[in-house]
Amino acid sequence: MKAHGTIFTVLLLTGAVAASDSTIDTAAVRFAADATTETPDFQRHVVPLLGKLGCNGRACHGSFQGRGGFRLSLFGYNFKADHDEISGRVDPETPPESLVLQKPLMEIPHEGGQRLKPGSWQHRLLLNWVKADSPGRSEDAATLSELMVTPAEVQFRKDGQQVQLKAVAVWSDGNREDVTDLCRFQTNDDQVADITSSGFIEASASGDTHVVVSYDSAVVAVPVMRPVSDKTGKNYPDTPTPTKIDELVIARLKKLGVVQSDRCSDEEFLRRVSLDVTGALPTVKEIRQFVANETSDKRAKKIDELLERPGYTAWWTTKLCDFTGNSDDQLNNVTPIRQAASQQWYEWIHARVDQNVPYDEIVEGLVMAVSRDPGESYEDYCTNISQLYHKGNDRSFADREQMPHYWSRRNFQQMEDRVIGFAYTFLGVRIQCAQCHKHPFDKWTQDDFKGFQGFFTGVTGRNTNPRPENRGEYKQMLAKFDTGDLKGGQLRNELRKIVQKGEIIPFGEVYSTPPPKVVVVERKGRKQNVRRGGGRTATEARLLGETPIDLTGYEDVREPLMAWLRSPENPLFAKAFVNRVWAAYFNVGIVNPPDDMNLANPPSNAPLLDHLATGFIAHGFDMKWLHREILNSRTYQLSWRPNSTNRLDERNFARAVPRRLPAEIAWDMVSQAVSNDDKFARFASSTDGRAIAITGAGTRYRGNGDASYAMTIFGRSIRESNCDCDRSEEPSLLQTIFLRNDSQILEMLDTKEGWLAQVAKENGVPFSSRTPSRTDKSKLARLAQLRVTYTNRLTAQQTALARLKKNGGNENQIARMEAQVRSSRKKWKQYLNPGATDNSEDNTSHAVVNVAKAIDDAYLRTLSRKPTNAEAADATEFVAQAENEMDGLRGVMWALLNTKEFIVNH
Amino acid sequence: MAFFRTCDGFGRRDFLRAGVAGGAGLSLASYMQMAHANQLHKGAKARSALFINLNGGPSHMDTFDLKPDAPDEYRGEFSPIQTNIPGIYISEHLPKLAQVMDKFCILRGVSHSVAAHQLGTEYVNSGNRPLPSLEFPGYGAVVSKELSGDPELPKFVAIPKSQQRPGYLGVRYAPMNTSAMPAVGSPFRVRGMSLGSGLTVTDVEKRNNLLSKLDRTFGEFEAESQLLDGLGQFGQQAHAMITSSKSRDAFDISKESPEFAEPFGKSGLGASCLLALRLVESGVRFITVTNGGWDTHRENWDALSTRQLPPLDESLSALFAGLETRGLLDSTVVYITGEFGRTPKINTERNGRDHYPRNMFMLMAGGGVKGGQVLGESDAKGTLPKNEGFSPDDVAASFYHALGINHEKEYKTTTGRPVMIVRNGNVIPELFA
Repeated sequence: MKAHGTIFTVLLLTGAVAASDSTIDTAAVRFAADATTETPDFQRHVVPLLGKLGCNGRACHGSFQGRGGFRLSLFGYNFKADHDEISGRVDPETPPESLVLQKPLMEIPHEGGQRLKPGSWQHRLLLNWVKADSPGRSEDAATLSELMVTPAEVQFRKDGQQVQLKAVAVWSDGNREDVTDLCRFQTNDDQVADITSSGFIEASASGDTHVVVSYDSAVVAVPVMRPVSDKTGKNYPDTPTPTKIDELVIARLKKLGVVQSDRCSDEEFLRRVSLDVTGALPTVKEIRQFVANETSDKRAKKIDELLERPGYTAWWTTKLCDFTGNSDDQLNNVTPIRQAASQQWYEWIHARVDQNVPYDEIVEGLVMAVSRDPGESYEDYCTNISQLYHKGNDRSFADREQMPHYWSRRNFQQMEDRVIGFAYTFLGVRIQCAQCHKHPFDKWTQDDFKGFQGFFTGVTGRNTNPRPENRGEYKQMLAKFDTGDLKGGQLRNELRKIVQKGEIIPFGEVYSTPPPKVVVVERKGRKQNVRRGGGRTATEARLLGETPIDLTGYEDVREPLMAWLRSPENPLFAKAFVNRVWAAYFNVGIVNPPDDMNLANPPSNAPLLDHLATGFIAHGFDMKWLHREILNSRTYQLSWRPNSTNRLDERNFARAVPRRLPAEIAWDMVSQAVSNDDKFARFASSTDGRAIAITGAGTRYRGNGDASYAMTIFGRSIRESNCDCDRSEEPSLLQTIFLRNDSQILEMLDTKEGWLAQVAKENGVPFSSRTPSRTDKSKLARLAQLRVTYTNRLTAQQTALARLKKNGGNENQIARMEAQVRSSRKKWKQYLNPGATDNSEDNTSHAVVNVAKAIDDAYLRTLSRKPTNAEAADATEFVAQAENEMDGLRGVMWALLNTKEFIVNH
Repeated sequence: MAFFRTCDGFGRRDFLRAGVAGGAGLSLASYMQMAHANQLHKGAKARSALFINLNGGPSHMDTFDLKPDAPDEYRGEFSPIQTNIPGIYISEHLPKLAQVMDKFCILRGVSHSVAAHQLGTEYVNSGNRPLPSLEFPGYGAVVSKELSGDPELPKFVAIPKSQQRPGYLGVRYAPMNTSAMPAVGSPFRVRGMSLGSGLTVTDVEKRNNLLSKLDRTFGEFEAESQLLDGLGQFGQQAHAMITSSKSRDAFDISKESPEFAEPFGKSGLGASCLLALRLVESGVRFITVTNGGWDTHRENWDALSTRQLPPLDESLSALFAGLETRGLLDSTVVYITGEFGRTPKINTERNGRDHYPRNMFMLMAGGGVKGGQVLGESDAKGTLPKNEGFSPDDVAASFYHALGINHEKEYKTTTGRPVMIVRNGNVIPELFA
């Protein structure tokens, strides 16, 4: 590449060249002259113009209620409906008196104000259309093949630089027209580039963004960037690029003049990767060993090791349950026992993540799910499922081939809801916009939405009934039990009791119905095609962006859908997943938000997303390959410490971005940090009792146990509304109050299995589980006094007894004395036996806590690093000034739990 | 920073611009809507709100909408008594409330169709009929977002917890749960607010000093990270709340004089109302009180006359009188409701009444609501509204109206969909004086 400025000029020239061929001039030019007699086209000119004038926006006539009795389809594209509406507002006899002109001209009052200037080209265009008897769109009209926008990329160098975008529509009939004046223009970030309604961009702050051009069904995003520094291209400092990811990231950063931070320290890496991959902190021992290890591949080895820990399996099972919508609320009444369905869902995915089953196979188990395993009779099915609920059984739902609960959710029964949920989960697309109107940021129209719906029509999902041919068996099985006329919830309740007693009960199931069969029959001597069976299953459907498929040949209409998903040509399936995994490690996705892939929201680094998606497919959708690929990049291992070029950049991966830990991990991490060494270390080998292993979710879910309040305020996913934002990672006041002062947290510091108890034991000092308050202090003083008093009195009695025995006193006297000692022991028990240890107070009060070691330890177990000298000094001083050392250390631990460094991953 | 795009072509930036600065980003139509809203809310009096949730669904036929002339299988065991407003009658088991009828308004013939506890509760706590794909924010969350508050106090307190979730507004607007029910005359511990484990304010100050020394890793960079900056600010605010005598005093109902506390009685509901009043007085914006036991499928009259109504009578009458004594009634809007009414026709098998959303009552008071009146009416057997009736959406719109919040204001859901605060409600003008 050549020097600055030039790129910019070259791009502009390219634009000029494109205009010189057979392209029709822009409407603004053609309709500029009064004399023009051209009749504009409804689809190509009139509707885009109405869009441009804002008529079909949501606040105006695009509102679903319309405005002033006039309703247009939101963002256009429903040509028939729009034409019908407008027809009532044109006057073919006296065209200038048409409402469609008079209103926007403000010749008569218009709530939306003046939208058309008299005599403008826009006015003339509309008028000519009315004069020509306002023709609509014909059935066989050409469709838009492409919207070519030039320049395709804009690079600014200094303030005040300007560029005019030009858009050419290429139609399927070969027509090319300059439609710049009919496009809508928007910027994704007006701090970097502001764009006028005519497509004129002016440089402002440095950075990168996109401007978005919309016309007809097309949405084109044009990258606009202005380097942050002069360290671009050849001036870019030498930066290692050990992996392909690094190459692609640096290629982008070179254009932006953003320099990567340095590689992070071993301690930082270990903490970050441990929390990210396993949701747990490294042990003190692990940190020491890792730092001391001098082999060059130790980070790669550690990554491999972490990916084999149960924490990885539990955490990514949780994430997959988030994405696929394992919500207990939505699965209400799907299983005889509450919460069993979400538990089974979790277990089913867990078993597969544990075995690193390829992603597409896991997805197939959900997408293609029916309740029965292949070849399983209804009776066997009921037996096998019943046994899951029998006491002491060792079977798991994970052994079943598929996960039918995906189809049983309450919010996955309507066909529209299935399209929305499916597109969210597996394609990362918010197709719901196209349910009611043209997607404003993508090419999807209502027709695309409706066409896609057909694939979801063949499944009966709610799990309430068996297949029609097994209804008799169902009734027979039910008849064995005395359930009378019980129905619904009462029947379910009764069946729960029965199955838990070890009986076999009948179950409903998720099953699919093939589309109707077309058979030829003879009626009255004439052959006729007749459709047989098939219920509501569709006979035709259309994959997004494809041509219609005949479904009648398929046993299960989901087959072509699944084949399309996992096909290497699928543009979204692999990308949606790799992007989400990337987002989990980098705070933002390459497309962000990660579940909003659309044309107007392009990837910040398209080659990077392509590389990961292609690699993921080529490696057979191996999830661990993907994690390894990302984690081993230098880019993942960068320091958060910024330099002058990347301080403000959070989307081009030039440094680590501090991020608040997810709810489950935050909670687990607090529990871990305050635990004794044994319990702390168990986090690496087990996920029992951990928040990352909580199975279900939902707004009413009660399975969160002790973590319940924390999960709510830290924003664990509620898996409710088909959005990655069901999980929240934003900070809040309540979170801070919780960490600082909630009794749950304060009590965790002081448990028997806690770190403080361990330190006390190791150092041989007494451990009182709370900071003494003023009243406590006077109580304690009194207690201490009583201890001395009673101990002295008992000692006196014992001495007397001993003397008596030694002097051969009489038996009665001895017996009486012994009884007295026994009774005193009993009476003063609480004063004589303080603490669990046998150490007398005298001994313990002389013990000294190794404060320096304890402070080091506190740092390592919370922040995974040693304190700096200054920090160690501050902490030591705090301990020295405390009531006692243990109380001081409690304060140090409290402070560390409340540092920002603790609660964010960095 | 992520730039969220929305279905309707508005980006978050546009939204902020319209909300803050006006001018360029504001379309004429939305400007007119705002102007309309200002006019509409000029008279708003309430600065705080109190929502009392009677969980389980209280029987309208035996409390505030008696039908003494209905047939036996409907009427029930209780007789009506005259209130201090001629012509208004309520249950004989609410004698104290009858004496302060001038301070509150009864809405009769409120009607909806959601007969399950959870969904009904979500409905009356948000003013929007629940949808499977979207969680609506409760009133308290919306108020926390819309109204400013005292930095030393939480804006939204739930006694002891609330069904009002932040929904699509996000965890920032969640209530602070007291978790426990207060008891009159006893010290009250509030989750996160009370100093725990023997700590004194001095101890907390010392710890906080240590924390500020140790929490310097990110240094100057903090100002440039939204997250770190936010954590820093929340840290300061949390510390202020935990250590300020203001917040602790607000929660300490034992500070009330015995004479003032006495009328609230000894029940948990009474103590909760007293606490709510103290919180309002200190400047908390929104308080929910949750009171259960209203799901009277069995022995309805026995449960009401012995267990449910006496504390309700005592607590609410003391609350209304107390708010007035303290000069807070005008600036505090109170909204009391269950999730539905109960079947007008008696379930004779169990001597009870079952779930019934088609006709129910609600109560409102304060914040400009005109007391001493009954709005709406149900039919002779208490089965349906007599005329058009009200919906929970209407009452919600009115509740917001009292607080000066335009219920037609649009928020963006987390998926970028524009949704009004209350989607289908109309303010009930007769409520307001």
